Amino acid sequence: MTRSQSLLTLSRRYLTTAARPTTTTAAAGTAPSKLASHFPTHPQPRLQHLRHHCPYTSRTTRPTIRTYHSAHHPAPLHEYSNSQTTILSASLRHVPTHGFSRDALTLGARDAGFLDVSVQLFPRGEFDLILFWLASRRGLLRSRVENDALLQAQDGGAPLSVDEKIKVLIMERLRMNEEVRDKWQDALAVMSLGENVPLSLSELHSLLDDILTLAGDVSVDASWYSKRFALAAVYTSSEFVMTRDSSANLRDTEEFLTRRLADSKAIGEKITGVRQCLGFMGSTAVGLGRSWGLKI
Amino acid sequence: MNSLTLLRAGLRAPSLRPTVPAVLDFLAPSTLQTRRQYNSTAIRQSPASTPGSSKPKYVLNAEQKEYLDRALRVNQAGELAATLIYEAQNPQVVRSHPHLRPLMKHMYDQEVGHFKTFNQLNAKHRVRPTAMYPVWEVAATFLGWSTGAMGREAAMACTEAVETEIGSHYNDQVREILSWKAEAESRGEVLDEELEDMLVTFRRIRDEELEHLDHAVANDSKEARPYDPLVNVIRYGCKAAIKITERI
Repeated sequence: MTRSQSLLTLSRRYLTTAARPTTTTAAAGTAPSKLASHFPTHPQPRLQHLRHHCPYTSRTTRPTIRTYHSAHHPAPLHEYSNSQTTILSASLRHVPTHGFSRDALTLGARDAGFLDVSVQLFPRGEFDLILFWLASRRGLLRSRVENDALLQAQDGGAPLSVDEKIKVLIMERLRMNEEVRDKWQDALAVMSLGENVPLSLSELHSLLDDILTLAGDVSVDASWYSKRFALAAVYTSSEFVMTRDSSANLRDTEEFLTRRLADSKAIGEKITGVRQCLGFMGSTAVGLGRSWGLKI
Repeated sequence: MNSLTLLRAGLRAPSLRPTVPAVLDFLAPSTLQTRRQYNSTAIRQSPASTPGSSKPKYVLNAEQKEYLDRALRVNQAGELAATLIYEAQNPQVVRSHPHLRPLMKHMYDQEVGHFKTFNQLNAKHRVRPTAMYPVWEVAATFLGWSTGAMGREAAMACTEAVETEIGSHYNDQVREILSWKAEAESRGEVLDEELEDMLVTFRRIRDEELEHLDHAVANDSKEARPYDPLVNVIRYGCKAAIKITERI
């Protein structure tokens, strides 16, 4: 478990959420002990009441839009309350055994010294746990690059190209899922439920955006979109392969990923080639017309 | 009854277990200071410790960030279009009026410079390019080609219309950032140097765009026939394109 210990070490400034977690206005202050002292034996009715009136239970959270990054204006930190982060982080320890489930949340709450009812802080239940997993792993990936020099060239080797960096980053991210490999298909199923899709996609976009930025990709033209779409396809399919991969150190997944990246690169080159060819033919036709004296 | 036992276990838990795992330093920032946190404070303080200013930095709010995001996206798309318009006009205008070659080259080179500036700014600030990128490419090339085919006056009228819109657009942005600056000063804060640089850049680019406008008028843009419909169509087109680009 030393690895999962290390995985939980995450500096505060690396945990940013792509999606707003459950807004924590009223509920953040309601520490579970307070609730329990009012209603020691029957907390449920009280919470049902809260569910109808508090904004924090609304399920229609919008993904946050990531705008204008600058070192001088750091992105706002996550909007989890302290009790939420405590419970969620403690729950992550139970994910390898209990999966992304309410059981893991309950056990995590207990570990952190909260009452079982404090699971009500997470109206989306297991999906909140999955979102926290995604956001914290994404933060961890960034801290790996910035603190552990993940993308430094191996000693003596040439510096990695952007494509190689992307591969290293995706592999690193997939390896973080290794210990929850058996549970990940369930998590994918939860993420693909209709109401969870927007937040899942927003989190996926944040991950790919981070990967491309960390890899040093600076394209800001139409390829900005095509790169993200291609990487999304590659990443999600590799993630799926990973859940069935039993080889040592995810070797099969790495090979799969290498092949998919090569495919997408080949397709990209084909498209560029076709476009160049058409452009060349077009400019030849225009030049020919002009040489005949046409006013074009 | 199960819930009761769970409840009791929950009450017992703090005494039995070491509660919050100590490794979660983002939960307890005051007790655990890692190397990373020293670094981050160093980053935050370094701009303030630059010579001449020890004032706190003005912090942008979410709306201001979104404004900058949109402004930078529009500027990049605008410069892309300007570059393509000049590129498409150039051969036809220069063939019939060779004396305009240096002027067209001068304006084209400046637009390419602006385009590069905004590409760098957008990559640095992770601003999403517009989804209409390919559409604007085609539209700008067509606009440049068609006005070029209509003759020198129409090409210059096109430049005039586009630069009028773009110039006032940059002017709005400069005014907006200046209003932030005034607000910062009233609070005893200063803008960070990125915004100050942006202010200088926007002003320079605006002046260069207005210089293009003067060149266009000096080269008989007002002689274009039909002047009013042509200029109005292009100006409203630009306005619509700016609105669309701000959003998608």
